[in-house]
Amino acid sequence: MYDVSSFSIAAVGILTLFAFFLRFYKINHPDQVVFDEVHFGKFAAHYISREYYFDVHPPFAKMLFGLAGWFVGFDGKFLFENIGDNYTDNHVPYVGMRGLSAIFGSLTVPVVYGIMKECGYGTVVSAFSASLVLFDSAHIAQSRLILLDSILIFFMAMTVYSYIRFRKLRYRDFTAEWWGWLVATGVFMACTWGSKVNGILTVFAIGAAVLVDLWDILDYRKNESIDVFWRQFTARAVGLILVPFIVYLSFFWVHFTVLNRSGPGDTFMSPAFQESLVGNELLMHSAEIRYLDTVTIRAKDAKVYLHSHPEKYPLRYDDGRISSQGQQVTGYGHADENNHWQIIPTKALPETGRGRIVRHGDTIQLLHVNTDSVLLTHDVASPLTPTNQEFTTHPKEDYSRYNETLFQVLLMDGEEGSAWRSKSGHFRLVHVLTKVSLYTHKGQLPDWAFLQQEINGNKNPNDRGNVWFVDEIVQTPDGEDVLNRQATVNTPNRDPKPRNFFKKFFELQGLMLQHNAGLTASHPYASSPLNWPFLVSGISFWTESESQKQIYFIGNIVGWWTCVIAVSVYIGIMGADMIGRRRNVKAIPHSVRKRLWNSAGFFLLVWFIHYAPFFLMSRQLFLHHYLPSHLASTLVAGAVLHFLISDTVNTPISAKGHFTPLRHRNYAEIGYRGPIILGIWVVMLLIAFVYISPLTYGTPGLTGDEVNARRLLNTWTLHFAAKNAGQV
Amino acid sequence: MASVRARRPPSPPPSIAHPPPRFPPKAGHLDADARRAAPRSLARPRVPAAAEWRVLAVLLLVGAGVRLFRISSPDSVVFDEVHFGKFAARYIKTRYFVDVHPPLAKLLITLAAWIFGFNGHFEFDDIAKPFVDTPYVAMRMVPALMGLWTIPLGYLTLRMLDCRATTAMLAAVLLTFENALVTQSRHILLDAPLIFFTALSTFFYVCFATENARRPFSEAWWTWLVLTGGALGAVVSCKWVGLFTIALVGLATLRQLWILLGDTRVSPRLWIKHFLARALCLILVPLLVYMFIFHIHFAILQNSGEGDGFMSPEFQHTLGGHRMDDTYADVAVGSRVTIRHVNTQGGYLHSHPHNYPAGSKQQQITLYPHLDENNDWRIINASSPGDPYTSWEGHPPAYIPDGARIKLRHISTAKSLHSHDFRPPVSDVDFQNEVSAYGMADFEGDMNDDWIVEIDGSAARRLRTLRTAFRLKHALTGCYLFSHKVKLPAWGFDQQEVTCNKNAVRANSLWMVETNWHPHLPANAPKVNYRTPSLLSKFLELNSVMWTTNAGLTERHTYDSRPASWPILRRGINFWVKDHRQVYLTGNPLVWWMSTAAVSAYVAVRALLILRAKRGFRDFENTKVVKYDTLCGFLFLGWALHYLPFFLMTRQLFLHHYLPALYFAVLLLCAVFDFLTASLRPVARLAAALVLALLVVWNFAIFSPLAYGLPWTKAQCRAAQWRSTWDFSWYAALSSPSQYLMNLNFTPPPQCRLFRRLRELRSQRARNAPRIRRPRHHRRRRRARARRRRRCARADGRRRRRDAGRAREGGARPRYFCGGARGEDGRCGEQCGWGGCGGWRWRWGGGWIEGGQRCCGWRARQRRRWWRARQPRREW
Repeated sequence: MYDVSSFSIAAVGILTLFAFFLRFYKINHPDQVVFDEVHFGKFAAHYISREYYFDVHPPFAKMLFGLAGWFVGFDGKFLFENIGDNYTDNHVPYVGMRGLSAIFGSLTVPVVYGIMKECGYGTVVSAFSASLVLFDSAHIAQSRLILLDSILIFFMAMTVYSYIRFRKLRYRDFTAEWWGWLVATGVFMACTWGSKVNGILTVFAIGAAVLVDLWDILDYRKNESIDVFWRQFTARAVGLILVPFIVYLSFFWVHFTVLNRSGPGDTFMSPAFQESLVGNELLMHSAEIRYLDTVTIRAKDAKVYLHSHPEKYPLRYDDGRISSQGQQVTGYGHADENNHWQIIPTKALPETGRGRIVRHGDTIQLLHVNTDSVLLTHDVASPLTPTNQEFTTHPKEDYSRYNETLFQVLLMDGEEGSAWRSKSGHFRLVHVLTKVSLYTHKGQLPDWAFLQQEINGNKNPNDRGNVWFVDEIVQTPDGEDVLNRQATVNTPNRDPKPRNFFKKFFELQGLMLQHNAGLTASHPYASSPLNWPFLVSGISFWTESESQKQIYFIGNIVGWWTCVIAVSVYIGIMGADMIGRRRNVKAIPHSVRKRLWNSAGFFLLVWFIHYAPFFLMSRQLFLHHYLPSHLASTLVAGAVLHFLISDTVNTPISAKGHFTPLRHRNYAEIGYRGPIILGIWVVMLLIAFVYISPLTYGTPGLTGDEVNARRLLNTWTLHFAAKNAGQV
Repeated sequence: MASVRARRPPSPPPSIAHPPPRFPPKAGHLDADARRAAPRSLARPRVPAAAEWRVLAVLLLVGAGVRLFRISSPDSVVFDEVHFGKFAARYIKTRYFVDVHPPLAKLLITLAAWIFGFNGHFEFDDIAKPFVDTPYVAMRMVPALMGLWTIPLGYLTLRMLDCRATTAMLAAVLLTFENALVTQSRHILLDAPLIFFTALSTFFYVCFATENARRPFSEAWWTWLVLTGGALGAVVSCKWVGLFTIALVGLATLRQLWILLGDTRVSPRLWIKHFLARALCLILVPLLVYMFIFHIHFAILQNSGEGDGFMSPEFQHTLGGHRMDDTYADVAVGSRVTIRHVNTQGGYLHSHPHNYPAGSKQQQITLYPHLDENNDWRIINASSPGDPYTSWEGHPPAYIPDGARIKLRHISTAKSLHSHDFRPPVSDVDFQNEVSAYGMADFEGDMNDDWIVEIDGSAARRLRTLRTAFRLKHALTGCYLFSHKVKLPAWGFDQQEVTCNKNAVRANSLWMVETNWHPHLPANAPKVNYRTPSLLSKFLELNSVMWTTNAGLTERHTYDSRPASWPILRRGINFWVKDHRQVYLTGNPLVWWMSTAAVSAYVAVRALLILRAKRGFRDFENTKVVKYDTLCGFLFLGWALHYLPFFLMTRQLFLHHYLPALYFAVLLLCAVFDFLTASLRPVARLAAALVLALLVVWNFAIFSPLAYGLPWTKAQCRAAQWRSTWDFSWYAALSSPSQYLMNLNFTPPPQCRLFRRLRELRSQRARNAPRIRRPRHHRRRRRARARRRRRCARADGRRRRRDAGRAREGGARPRYFCGGARGEDGRCGEQCGWGGCGGWRWRWGGGWIEGGQRCCGWRARQRRRWWRARQPRREW
């Protein structure tokens, strides 16, 4: 009786209304930068000011924020520097940007309802799942701020929804509707992945489901001909690989098109990339280097300067080895007179003109200006790395070791005759005699070298530590201004150089992967995945000391524990069923069992794939990484509730095809228990939610004792807690 | 194992009348149906025939020849003998140590050493340190014998898995002539025992499974089951890698139980009996064995040693040399105490007359792990009237309640524990304050010396020695006295940092009074001491320490490798280099690559079969396929479980971690051989096996100098370098056998006739060669070469004189850049001489000789050698 469509529409309407209300309630509070708004707000500002930035996440959600900001009239001047910066004082229309997030967060609720409904569960059960998301403090806290997760979760839910619609049409394959939902799945998948890096897990989840599906199609009892399999396979390859990839690429295309000015992300990128941005440092300040210029040389990765000072290498190292006792050559992190090197030619130079420019492949000497000695390397083992050669310097006037002081400048991707430029000209310095490259690595020399970094000669030419660049031309032989000189001799084109989109795309992808893996520093609110489903600890988003207000990101404890219990009940039921069937006890009716396997099993798969990979990651992990999984677990909870209160299922739910055998239509009978359980749960969820809501909305402020009372688990680290005797 | 057998079609129904059989069956003969219907106990047990035992004995003898050949050489420390030899010495001296591996294998080695009279004085400090007064041969015999017994175990396992005797023999040969197994079992290392026990557990389990198919709960069934459990306990007591063997047996057992569960003839009661029997023998028995080994370990290591620092104070207290006298139970104002940090092993709150180089520049406060007078503090009541440092003396002792406000006086420097708003020197963050010692002899100090005692846990009302942990809160700033595992730099003598932390983690801000003495307390006042921990708590503590230490082994080693490179044998490990001889762990490439191929072939074929089954092919109804699938599946599971988990480990990994997996891969290879030759006649099968075996032996012979550390020539060495990533140092070898004779360090063994004969031949040929005047251009070239040689010699001399001069000044010879490996003395191996010939670079082998080696081509080099060989012998 609850499943008539008017009832269903009313239910979804109420749920959506509530969702909007709960997410928009006091959305203007706090009018300060909260938690990761520091990043994502800033990125939105960059879209508006069109300055290039770099981030580990794909750009789609951030572009939406940029769009929302532009729409409500944000000028992009405010840069979201610190948590707690005031929006009102800086005239930022932040409500519009938060509103975007809240809209997506609110729409997630009816999508969850829709997923359950489409899977054949009744209105009551669907409303149960939806209310688990609706009243969830974590989802609400996340969708009231300028954060990516609500967008990610919305598109993830949409992906699941479209895939289910697609799967329901399996008896009407290759119809327009079927193609429509297939492509929709692909597009939403790309949106999910494009919102945040972890969206790729949705791709994996759908991929796993598709593999199971294809495996089924491969069965000879289903399809006698293998051609059927290949057609289905090709269709899915197009809809779920090709389409998403194109959509994903298009995000980046927009990203690169919008961000065409130089900005804070320049330094992450290669010189060629940087030169494609308007007004970047390389175009503005890069100058051709000429012989007899004095320069500072810097390592590309380690960012230390090539440095030398009058101190000598000690006669004997701790491990008994002996050095050449020459002058030390080290890597030093700060600007200093001792970083100055002059480029000495090894050939006759014309008085003026282009012949004085250093080019790719030229052989030079480097003169350390302060000690008047030239750089040299020889086959003495370096202090820390016995397999590499020691670098030292040799008096300038002494020509006895002249051959050992010759180095060749090899530009990275350099061609014959290309000029060596400061800033952009990444190069290797190769010793002519022994073919080793100037190299540095993280090794710190002992006290005798003032804990500076080791420099040595590396035999492996492809090592990343071999790449250097000229940071600055300090002085020219005739003392002229470097940039002006360049303007007269060689007027470079200050316009950006275009670069192929795919080159840009792959460079950025590589960097994103690399930096994502590099986020391993510890964070006080990072937590391990095992704690997430149980809400062991949350994240402090924002605090305000005067009014004792705070936003503490934590879930609705009733809802989350319901989900945990539901997942364990499901695993228990399926385990018991497997053992029972092994003993020839078939306790669960066939249709119910099929529903449990196929529908709830799919939800569990989504839950698992969005959750388990985090155990293998070594990067910083936060509670909000669990939210997609939590959404999947609410779906499992609905399915389990249905199983517990009813012995029947709604069948058939897939669209009938031409060859589908006729089946009786069954309706699930959930009796009076369903609405009662739903009512009880909604009340419990509401109570738990309202009780915690001062932490979710950040208002009103709480006294110390009230904070203590809201610390439902003693592992939550709330601020402004009153001290009591038991707890220190 | 083979429990899924496809049913053959039943015999014709009895209703059809049979003609009388032409050959009436013999008495007791059963036809196929009758055999199937007969009780399972009648199935023939697979026991090797008598002839096979003889074959096995021969194989064992051959194996002994291969494994024990010149086991006494090298007579110096090899690779990780540095550790495991040293641990044996520690056992003998009963000095406590901590290692990441459980103790069984080390105990066995120690037993051998002890029986042969090792006194524990030899320190296994460095690789290539010659043994003195050490029964190292006996110690090496333990792994060697275990490696030897692995061979028959491989044979028997395959036989029990229903493979043919030829196949089993092939397996024995492959295991015998596997260079890595040979190398690894000839030295004091743990892997040979580990592999032995792995093989033993597998064998026992296979026997158990066979028996399980015949007569469950028979005496033999129980025996095999208990033996499996015992062997599993032993394997995990050698190395934690043994857990993978447990996983293998566990998964196989779960499969057995799953099949039993599906057999409706087995009642639930019987199933539970099956389950409990397995749980008892495969979980409880290994656990007991494992704990018993640790019991022996603790029983032997009675005295304190270098491992103390890893353990908790309670544990240390059980070690001789750390035992502490009973101390007063109650802490009172005026007590002279030592205060220990509870959560880290950093030691006692300590101060010494050295100041911080930065910050307040006041006297340092650190944690110091050893007993010392500078750990002594006096507890003073901060709120007493008058001079608090003296006023306590006149009064009866007053106890310290929770919340007391105290000062801590460092007795030997007469300064007080002090904190103030300076950032600490190392943990330079906002929420940490520096802690220092501050004050003068007759200065009362200020409020920054005051600390509030907060006793941890509500049960205790006052501060007691050892029994109460407490936190010290700085009275003015509210921060807590705190320490963590951060070392101070050299100016703080590498001691642990102590700070005052505003957001202190509770565990790291807990302190405990360890010793307590008060002049006014009577001698009969209540005293306490550490509670002696039980065996169980010691066991748990040591295991958690091992776990953290193991996880901490993440730094790189020159010869470490990642798991992906193991099955293709990308690179080996340099174990030992001395006197131009080398021990280098590398596998028998043929065995290695063939076994990897077998594994991949199994995976590919199995995947194909699954796909075919999905498309309606009925391969899995073929008895032969089912038999080999079950058999290979088990061995593949063994391989995968001993290999794949390494991909998840971030610690240092080495090639020898692959060896247990290799054992399974070799057995799998033989199973594949068995399958491929199933349709051949026995003679042909034997021939195929022989050909394979010969190839393997030939491969072994090529690389055997690396396994035994035998001399070999550069040419041989270079020829053996099949892959450019195999970095055994052929320049460490000499170019001809006779040169090994000239080397002072090498005395040829008496049986080594070959060398002498070669030398004789060489000199004979020199004597008999007729003198022919060569053509003029030859003579001219020779003269030019001679000039060049003289120039070389002069340059050599100059260089050598310079080095000698440096050496006289007190330095060692400078370490010149080497193209690759060096000898153990730090010198480059015999290269092309000490340069001086100019920067000639020669194409040699597959590439250029690296820069830095200055070579003069082979002719000049030969001549120089010839010339040098005629010089008086000397150490150059």
